[in-house]
Amino acid sequence: MSKKSNIRNFCIIAHIDHGKSTLADRLMERTGQVSERDMEAQLLDSMDIERERGITIKLTPVRMFYKAQDGEEYEFNLIDTPGHVDFTYEVSRSLAACEGAILIVDASQGVEAQTLANVYLALENNLEILPVINKIDLPSARPDEAKKEVEDVIGLDASYAPLVSAKEGTNIEEILEDIVRYFPAPGGDENAPLKALIFDSYYDNYKGVILFVRVKDGKVAAGDRIKTFRSDKIYEVVETGVFAPNLTPKNGLAAGEVGYIAASIKSIQDVAVGDTVVNADNSDVEPLPGYKKVQSVVFCGIYPLDGSRFNDLKDAILKLQLNDASLIFEPDSSVALGFGFRCGFLGLLHMEIIQERIEREFGLEIITTAPSVSYKVIKTDGEEIFVDNPSHLPPVSEIEHMEEPIVKADIYSPPDYLGQIMDLCREKRGVFLEMTYLDKSRVRLEYHLPLNEIIFDFFDAVKSRTRGYASFDYELIGYERSKLVKLDILLNGEVCDALSMIVHEDSAYTRGRMLCENLKDAIPRQLFEVPVQAAIGGKIIARETVKAVRKDVLAKCYGGDITRKKKLLEKQKEGKKRMRQIGNVEVPSEVFMQILKTNKD
Amino acid sequence: MAGIYVHIPFCKSKCSYCDFASFPDKLCFAESYMACVYREMAMRESELKNYVFDTLYIGGGTPSVIDEKYIAMLVAAVGKHFKLSPDAEITIEMNPGTVSSGKIALYEKSGINRFSVGLQSAVDSQLEDIGRVHNLKDFLNCAKLLKGKNFNADVMLGLKNQTCADVEKTITVAAEAGASHISMYALSVEDGTPIYTDYLNGELPDSDEVAAMYAAGTGKLAELGFERYEVSNFCKKGAESRHNLNYWRRGEYIGFGVSASSCINNVRFTNTFDLDEYFKCILSGHLAVKDREEIDKTGQEEEFIMLALRTSRGLDLKEFEKLFNENFLDKYAIALQKVTGYIEVNDGFLKIKDRFLFIQNSIIVEFLQAV
Repeated sequence: MSKKSNIRNFCIIAHIDHGKSTLADRLMERTGQVSERDMEAQLLDSMDIERERGITIKLTPVRMFYKAQDGEEYEFNLIDTPGHVDFTYEVSRSLAACEGAILIVDASQGVEAQTLANVYLALENNLEILPVINKIDLPSARPDEAKKEVEDVIGLDASYAPLVSAKEGTNIEEILEDIVRYFPAPGGDENAPLKALIFDSYYDNYKGVILFVRVKDGKVAAGDRIKTFRSDKIYEVVETGVFAPNLTPKNGLAAGEVGYIAASIKSIQDVAVGDTVVNADNSDVEPLPGYKKVQSVVFCGIYPLDGSRFNDLKDAILKLQLNDASLIFEPDSSVALGFGFRCGFLGLLHMEIIQERIEREFGLEIITTAPSVSYKVIKTDGEEIFVDNPSHLPPVSEIEHMEEPIVKADIYSPPDYLGQIMDLCREKRGVFLEMTYLDKSRVRLEYHLPLNEIIFDFFDAVKSRTRGYASFDYELIGYERSKLVKLDILLNGEVCDALSMIVHEDSAYTRGRMLCENLKDAIPRQLFEVPVQAAIGGKIIARETVKAVRKDVLAKCYGGDITRKKKLLEKQKEGKKRMRQIGNVEVPSEVFMQILKTNKD
Repeated sequence: MAGIYVHIPFCKSKCSYCDFASFPDKLCFAESYMACVYREMAMRESELKNYVFDTLYIGGGTPSVIDEKYIAMLVAAVGKHFKLSPDAEITIEMNPGTVSSGKIALYEKSGINRFSVGLQSAVDSQLEDIGRVHNLKDFLNCAKLLKGKNFNADVMLGLKNQTCADVEKTITVAAEAGASHISMYALSVEDGTPIYTDYLNGELPDSDEVAAMYAAGTGKLAELGFERYEVSNFCKKGAESRHNLNYWRRGEYIGFGVSASSCINNVRFTNTFDLDEYFKCILSGHLAVKDREEIDKTGQEEEFIMLALRTSRGLDLKEFEKLFNENFLDKYAIALQKVTGYIEVNDGFLKIKDRFLFIQNSIIVEFLQAV
């Protein structure tokens, strides 16, 4: 076991794409954690989705040993973290387990929106920050300007920042030395009663729930009886270990160390990330402060495609939540879609990732409804409620007024695209606050924007209108009174609750028309004509018609055609299974997602 | 009921929509091919010795393109190897551009009593467009030779630049020329055929236009005294194709030649589509079956429903009960409720209402979901 003074717990924070996972790979390689032969690009991104999309979603801890120039051997515990704006929660969890943070800044792009957000998080957690200028191998690299931006925009002294190329492995040694030199050793008292912060967990089919912990005080080893604050259940520790980078058993963990605990915990609900593990026989201690609880900002309904698999869906969501505490959910039901869940997410990407993980990791086919934000409704009787599901909105007569969530958005862009960005923000009901020239090639724009305008495709729009040069980050700042209405979609005269949405009055007509047009194309022709209408209250504002099918036949059907005809009908039959019945209209499951595309022009 | 089908895979040239087994450049192999077909029949003789066949259908390709003596020998060979009932319906498909009085005389002499002529359209530009080797004049000449005989004319819907008026004209031409039977099919565009390009370029009528043509065609046919007995088949009283009715009633049939399908004892099997492979198999004394599917009880029920509902007579409820030991109306009560309005039950038969026959798949699927 390493001396506590020779332990360094740190994480890496950066804007998405600035090379976090690559640098982590390089550190592991240099410390001999993995041989170059076994090196697989982006080792810590173990989920398929992460590798495919080239992003980090989950934090991943790993332990390394480094023999420093002072002759001592140090134990490094690195916690890789996601960079996307949606995953701030994951970042804040890892920060609580560290004493230091390596801040990566791309030498050609400089400080980006997310860089800033993560730095503030790290400062809030009293972490020591080591700026590193990465990608100096790029022809467009301008390390001196990047350094200056770090000093001007963030206010950190960047004069000592190592200039590296994680890709090519240049100057990695310097970072390793700086980690030893600048990051403090963990505090805590080995002889005090056990206190360990759970910063992550996941479900293993053999070992039950595995807790990822940072031991703050005391010791824990196999055979110890432990409990958490969330439940009173007492568990016996079966195994402790470290991340090397796979789970590797190690007898006992002591204050300052990062590792895992397996204690045959079968009930998923008994564990909460952020909770404190204590000794069951000596539990008279204060829990550790958790960390910044993040609020869901985007909500959507998730339903099993096959209604009979509701319980499988429930199981899947529970297991995902264990691994991703920022996912919240509650049971929900819809006339059109049956039983399912209303889920809350940190952002659209987070929502997409969860949907994809449910489908991939649990083999479930799901239907998701259009994303919504949480609105504040002030009723005529003075009661204040929050509504994130349009079908739960009280009748108009009971609503005094409504408020919608507003964000402060920071957009970083080269000056060439200012016009396009300002147009976009205007279209999205944005209120301009401030423009700052960071240097002659970079501008920061600050806007107030309604959250419901950016949850659909704002991020894509920013990227496409600026050829990918701009970056964007936002934070929720509160609620503002707004003229909001509920837009209903009627199929063949019946309201389809799963298609309802809350929109701003000014965009209701456009949105309604677009929805009807999209639906007209997305709903297959039926035996009869189907009117598709958009309505506000009782008033129809748009209408399209799905014409009745007029030809649906295999014209020729003799001896050899019968097999073909059978296959054709079989296919049609399968297609019908993916349909939901709304009144007497059959609607393909994909249609519920189709709504998402309404904003695309 | 049981039928025999013989496939003649030769043509003068390949039509632009054709994806059947037909080999325009291999006409020189006709003699060897026919020898193989006779041989294939001999191989099946003992297996089918208890069957009496009511129909023989010689299709293709273009059977009329090969020397008529092979056809006469073919009919004789069928008679030699199998029991053909004395009043059997014996049909041959013909292209109007490949007939002569001598040919027809020999066909009749050999026992053929029904002819099927591929008219497709009475508009020459449309015929040329789909690569037919004949024109309207050829058809009229051919029809003259068939005057007074039992013959069918094929009519196609959905050709490039075709209008409802064209369809009506084609039907009128066929009727006036003396056809006792008219088959009216919507063109089905298959990937890999030349016409697929037209389809991709949006040059073919869309499904609504085809539906309009079908409606115009059925109107015209009714006006001219043709009764619809299946979604695509119309005839004067008593002139139904017995061979085809056998398919829709799930009768048994045996097929010979390249790509021919059979269904005997609820096993459906199909010969290879590859001419060389067919030769190789038969010449080495083996059958040339490529695909074989045993149809279980569920499959039989599915087929019975989907085929019966193609016909104007509809599904025989008594026969259904006899075959599947269940009352159709009880078993399919829920599906029936869904499609009520599109179907009717009369005299023990359940049928799709005439005006919905052309959208029958959507209706049939409701039943298939409940099989």
